[in-house]
Amino acid sequence: MGEVIVVTSGKGGVGKTTTSANIGTGLAATGHKVVLVDTDIGLRNLDVVMGLENRIVYDLVDVTSGNCRLKQALIKDKRFSNLFLLPAAQTKDKTAVSPEQMKLLAAELKEEFDFAIIDCPAGIEQGFRNAIAGADRAIVVCTPEVSAVRDADRIIGLLEAAELRNPKLIINRIRPEMVKRGDMMDIADILDILAVDLIGVVPEDESIVISTNRGEPAVMDQVSKAGEAYRRITRRIQGEEVPLMNLDVPSGIMDRLKRLVGFR
Amino acid sequence: MTRTEHVALKGTREGLVLYLDPAADFGVLMKELAKLLQNSVQFLQGASVRCYAGKKEYTEDEHTRLGTVLREQQLELAGWLTSEEVFVQGKSQAYATEDQETRLWEEGMVEGSCLFVERTLRSGKSVQFDGHVVVLGDVNPGAEIIATGNIAVLGALRGVAHAGATGERKASVSAYYLAPTQLRIADLVTRGPEDEADGRGPEIARIKEDQLIVEAAGMNGWRGKAR
Repeated sequence: MGEVIVVTSGKGGVGKTTTSANIGTGLAATGHKVVLVDTDIGLRNLDVVMGLENRIVYDLVDVTSGNCRLKQALIKDKRFSNLFLLPAAQTKDKTAVSPEQMKLLAAELKEEFDFAIIDCPAGIEQGFRNAIAGADRAIVVCTPEVSAVRDADRIIGLLEAAELRNPKLIINRIRPEMVKRGDMMDIADILDILAVDLIGVVPEDESIVISTNRGEPAVMDQVSKAGEAYRRITRRIQGEEVPLMNLDVPSGIMDRLKRLVGFR
Repeated sequence: MTRTEHVALKGTREGLVLYLDPAADFGVLMKELAKLLQNSVQFLQGASVRCYAGKKEYTEDEHTRLGTVLREQQLELAGWLTSEEVFVQGKSQAYATEDQETRLWEEGMVEGSCLFVERTLRSGKSVQFDGHVVVLGDVNPGAEIIATGNIAVLGALRGVAHAGATGERKASVSAYYLAPTQLRIADLVTRGPEDEADGRGPEIARIKEDQLIVEAAGMNGWRGKAR
């Protein structure tokens, strides 16, 4: 019996799809059988990020409405034979699927796979309700911005109301230099408001842009800092206790001199 | 105190009081009174007696009859007592309660039904209650509390709080960490204070002279522990 994890946020553009692709790939790399499900019907992106957009024949709506079997719609990943993608439909919208259909689908996926990662669309309406319908656990993605934290708080409230307790938090796109200057919210400020367990912190990294364009998730990139963060998150999802990455920028001569003299 | 079934004679600092059972028939009362007085004749002579018969009103005729019986024993009927002037067993509680109520009012206490919310209110949650509201947790931005009475938050108030929602200007809003996006009491609205609430401690907001003001709340014990 596998686990169904939904990756949600409320706010758009904070990194749900990137996170889903990376932790899905990371879990597959450690040997588990993983399926990624894109529930953003009408605005599908997970296939692009995974580099599999040319291989789509059937999609999620075809499966839930009975046009095809689940096996026909699943796309095997380019790099890992134990990683699959169930893409969303692009020509329909979120009313094409119901929460009950999603629950049945989740039950079917749990039988075959160790992990099913559900990429939730932005918002709190039908798309969100569809995505959380069959989930066992939830991961909330949030950037260190007031608006994102506000929306994450709302989403956590809705998750708790839907009996998805103890959602875990990923703080994405954090810039340590800005945090040090006081220009960006730091981790403690965010946790103060959201009051949930932190499962990872991912720094802002140019390699994400490059990896998205190439269709190769950053978690496989040994140089990328964001990739390293996602690798650690993958280990934490499996229950391992891993310390948070040290995100401090290495200080140059001037910084060290300043500290010697007494400037902060 | 000497008594029969429907009549009792009691000595007080102000003289003798004759208790008459208001439910009894007057004839019975007179008979019993005569008997009572006969048995206690020695130490009653010359005294003036005031009568108490609860709420019962006696007729003119009955008054004179009573007066005659008493005079036979050299007792003067001096008047009738009202319930307030008479000490009756079981009435003591009433007096005590009245005292308490006066005390409450002076010390600035307010009573009323109260809703206890034992969790943090997240964004989007709206709590509305006819009465006071106490939150044992935080109120996050985007959450709101609307109460007809006072609002107290045992945590951080970062959302919207509207106390005295139906017009009660004496209502107050208090929190351990008062940093609301908007604060409303009755018909007055104000934004939260601009500066960081860190280190200010518990605060209470109320209307004073037509203005919404925020002042440090008394809670010295809390402050002591925080330092």
